[in-house]
Amino acid sequence: MTLQTTSPLRRKRRSTTGLLFLAPFGLLFIFVFIIPILYSAYISLFQNKLIGGQSFVGLDNYARLFKDPQFYDGAIRVVVFTAIQVPIMLLCAILLALAVDSLRLHGTRFFRIVVFLPYAVPAIVSTLMWGFMLGIRYGLIGNLNDALGTRFDPFAPETTMASIGIMVTWGFTGYNMLIFYAALRAIPRELYEAAAIDGATEMQVVRNIKLPALRGSLTVTVIFSIIGTFQLFNEPNILSSLVSNSGITSYYTPNLYAYTLAFTGSQQGYAAALALVMAAFTIVIAYIVQIRGMKNAFDK
Amino acid sequence: MTFFVGLFALYCLLPMVWLLINATKSQTDFVSTFGLAFGGEFALWDNIVGVFTFQDGIFARWLLNTVMYVVVGALVSTFLAALGGYALAKHDFFGKKAFLLVVLGSISVPGIALAIPQFLLFAQMGLTNTPWAVLIPSFINPFGLYLMWVYSSDAVPNALIEAARIDGAKEFRIFWQIALPMLAPATVTVLLFSFVSIWNNYFLPLIMLKDPAWYPLTIGINQWNKLGSTAGNGELIQNLVITASLITIVPLIIAFLCLQRYWQSGLALGAVKD
Amino acid sequence: MRKTRIAAVATALTAVIALAGCSGSADEAPTAGAVPTDEPITLTVWSWDGTVEAAVPGFEKKYPNITVDVVNAGSSTDEYTALDNAIQAGSGVPDIAMFEYFVLPFFAIPGKLTDLSAYGADELGKDYVEAAWGEVNIDGAPYALPSDYGPAAMFYNQKVLAEAGVEEPPATWDEFYEAAKKVRALGGDHYITNDSADIFLLLSLIWESGGRPFQVEGTDVKIDFTDEGTARAVEYWQRMLDEDLINTKITGWSDDWNRGLNDGTLATQLIGGWFTSTLPERAPDAAGDFRIAELPQWEEGERSGAENGGSAMAIPADAPNKDAAYAFLEYFTHGEGLQARIDEGAFVPTLSFLEDEAFLASTNEFFGDQAYNEVLASASKNVGTGWQYPPFFSWARSSYEDLSAPLYNSGEGTLAELLETWRERMTEYGNEQGFAVS
Repeated sequence: MTLQTTSPLRRKRRSTTGLLFLAPFGLLFIFVFIIPILYSAYISLFQNKLIGGQSFVGLDNYARLFKDPQFYDGAIRVVVFTAIQVPIMLLCAILLALAVDSLRLHGTRFFRIVVFLPYAVPAIVSTLMWGFMLGIRYGLIGNLNDALGTRFDPFAPETTMASIGIMVTWGFTGYNMLIFYAALRAIPRELYEAAAIDGATEMQVVRNIKLPALRGSLTVTVIFSIIGTFQLFNEPNILSSLVSNSGITSYYTPNLYAYTLAFTGSQQGYAAALALVMAAFTIVIAYIVQIRGMKNAFDK
Repeated sequence: MTFFVGLFALYCLLPMVWLLINATKSQTDFVSTFGLAFGGEFALWDNIVGVFTFQDGIFARWLLNTVMYVVVGALVSTFLAALGGYALAKHDFFGKKAFLLVVLGSISVPGIALAIPQFLLFAQMGLTNTPWAVLIPSFINPFGLYLMWVYSSDAVPNALIEAARIDGAKEFRIFWQIALPMLAPATVTVLLFSFVSIWNNYFLPLIMLKDPAWYPLTIGINQWNKLGSTAGNGELIQNLVITASLITIVPLIIAFLCLQRYWQSGLALGAVKD
Repeated sequence: MRKTRIAAVATALTAVIALAGCSGSADEAPTAGAVPTDEPITLTVWSWDGTVEAAVPGFEKKYPNITVDVVNAGSSTDEYTALDNAIQAGSGVPDIAMFEYFVLPFFAIPGKLTDLSAYGADELGKDYVEAAWGEVNIDGAPYALPSDYGPAAMFYNQKVLAEAGVEEPPATWDEFYEAAKKVRALGGDHYITNDSADIFLLLSLIWESGGRPFQVEGTDVKIDFTDEGTARAVEYWQRMLDEDLINTKITGWSDDWNRGLNDGTLATQLIGGWFTSTLPERAPDAAGDFRIAELPQWEEGERSGAENGGSAMAIPADAPNKDAAYAFLEYFTHGEGLQARIDEGAFVPTLSFLEDEAFLASTNEFFGDQAYNEVLASASKNVGTGWQYPPFFSWARSSYEDLSAPLYNSGEGTLAELLETWRERMTEYGNEQGFAVS
């Protein structure tokens, strides 16, 4: 039982310390995020016309958004994509983290770099590389097709999302793996020693020590993977000019749609409304996932 | 298990191999040879020279810019994230949960919604087209803050902090000398991630910067790539783009190798006895 | 000699402008003035055309107090976005910016560009290719000066055509059709050319055929794809698509496209004349095989042409140093600076250049030592006039790409239907944006 030595004065100082520690981040955050978001919300209440400039339209942009088939097309696509790609990617990441954690010897370091490298590659480069490899004419797939006599096209409208999935998984599994790996490395050795004394098997160690330790980081990675994947933009954007007939439209993902609206269609107000609606939607989903995870974190 | 690991390593490496092989090809060879085969001539050295001399050697400038953006940005943002995350985990104050939720929410907002307002805001302050336009947004790492919060909650025992307080240590000193070393794997992770993320930063700098003298590598390389797909007097320099991409990745590998050592230490010095 | 004539004109113009400034003539708009020669000025020029830089030393020598900074602020859409952002923020607006012809109305109509008639630019029209001049004039006033040009031409790989049994380059579209069948008969992936919803290709065919689907007057826009010229081109291209004579699986500017040109599976390209500078690096293995001819004609003996690309330079309305900017603008698009750019490979729509013998005689071994500039010069002069782009063409183009997917991916629908849907979308968008579209 700990002794309550904290006087009221001390307790108060602690709470201001907390705020002080957070202040640098907080102030910059207000400047870099809060103000622009508020401004964005403000813009979303206006309509921009090439002739006639800006005019106040209230919630018209939002009403229009909810009737916009192109918006739904992109939104549904991105949700389905996330629902499939994120679990696969995180599962791979966990398996790899567990594997690297136990294969303490040969090649761990080499493997870690190898797996992390894809994340380090800028989007334009990785899209070029994959565009080539999955190319049906001059790429590796083309060669495979020739050898096997098939006509598989990774960038046909039906298969483009799967190909993008391959690219995204390639890029981010290592990233997530490292997060899990860090969590595994933070497990106190005493737990392992205790387990060894109790004569636990490898599987039991994994199930009872390692996996629970991953819970916190799993919540984090799930949330951020969902958030990131909802914002899918780079790959469809770059691919649209690299490959033909891929079915990638200017509204393929909500983010791409917002980008087109703002920069090609000069409809900043509408784009802002779209972005904010997607943000709200993402927050709701993230919150739901969060609630399940936060319970564990705060239950300490 | 090892098979799966090996397969995955191959999956990760294959595009890199492609990158390496094609960095050795001249432009002519690139267009006419099969992707994974070597070209007629070995042009890696020529390509590297080309990269550093094209457009009056602006690549070196871009490289320096990126290093500056990354070193300053990663250090500052990691420090702020660690400080803030620790505070959120170990200190009690008004508005804590609300703050976390807002930060979390902010990540959900697509960059596109923020880009134009940020641009207008920075323009008002005369910061566009300056390095500050890239640095200031990079000081905020919400994901880093979140990670540090989670790790601080898990890895720094309250009892240790209490003990230090009883000993009369000041709060910041507790953070700096006790908590921070314990958080090493987490801070190194956040540092590394922000290093990479700032290194690969593209969208916002694209909008903020118009002077090539301040471009980071990503924008510069992208511009070189677009030279080859613009009607008019563009230039096709795919070989330079690929070699430049290869050069771009090298510092990240070095950073990773250097920071690897800190992976080993993750255990609290002076463990707490129950 | 042509060059001294240009120089004389340029000097005269400069003198006129200087005098106008000195005398404080009330006829000119208040913005026009003499080029300041006492204070140091830095001009910022946004251009992705690399040849502009070549004109800088000569200009700086002429005006020692002026420094010109040529910056590549992005190509095409990237630059237009940056410019719009800068104008909106009120900071960072360049003195001169580069614009493809189709985007000029977008900036000119809402008043974001300077009317150059204040500087006497309306006098320069006769020195340019008629069609190019037509495009920089919006509502009767010049808002930009043409800087380079892309007369649509046919680049053909004569070796591949010969293999297919086509000895002479097709001179009419009917001949082109026959040639296409022969090339296709070579088997494999051989096609006479590719088209993956390339709106500029389709529009250049329509243009050459006399179609004028867009009529713009101020903010009134009329769109009609059913006029005779347009319908003829559309029907023709539809037939080519239906009979699998066009490769719809290759997008221009992609890696596949480079390789297709390089290994001969794409026998021709119907593209702008500027392609001469970039084809050699894309198709090194085909060196010596390519030739250039004018576009096939609709009727034997006709001489009609179209444009496919090209750009002009304009001064934004918010530019900080307009007088000095105009001096440089005129210098490198019309005056003494032209020659330096031409030496760098620029293809400019000034008549004097197109008639210059040295230029016409130049050859390039990539094109088998053909005097190809004769073809391009002739093509430039034949470009049909009266063509207009709608003011919201950037958006329209991206909309077209979206709409064309079903047709080009899976063969659903026809070109005519596609154009009709496109017309509907454009009408909706244009009206929403404050234009009167019908």
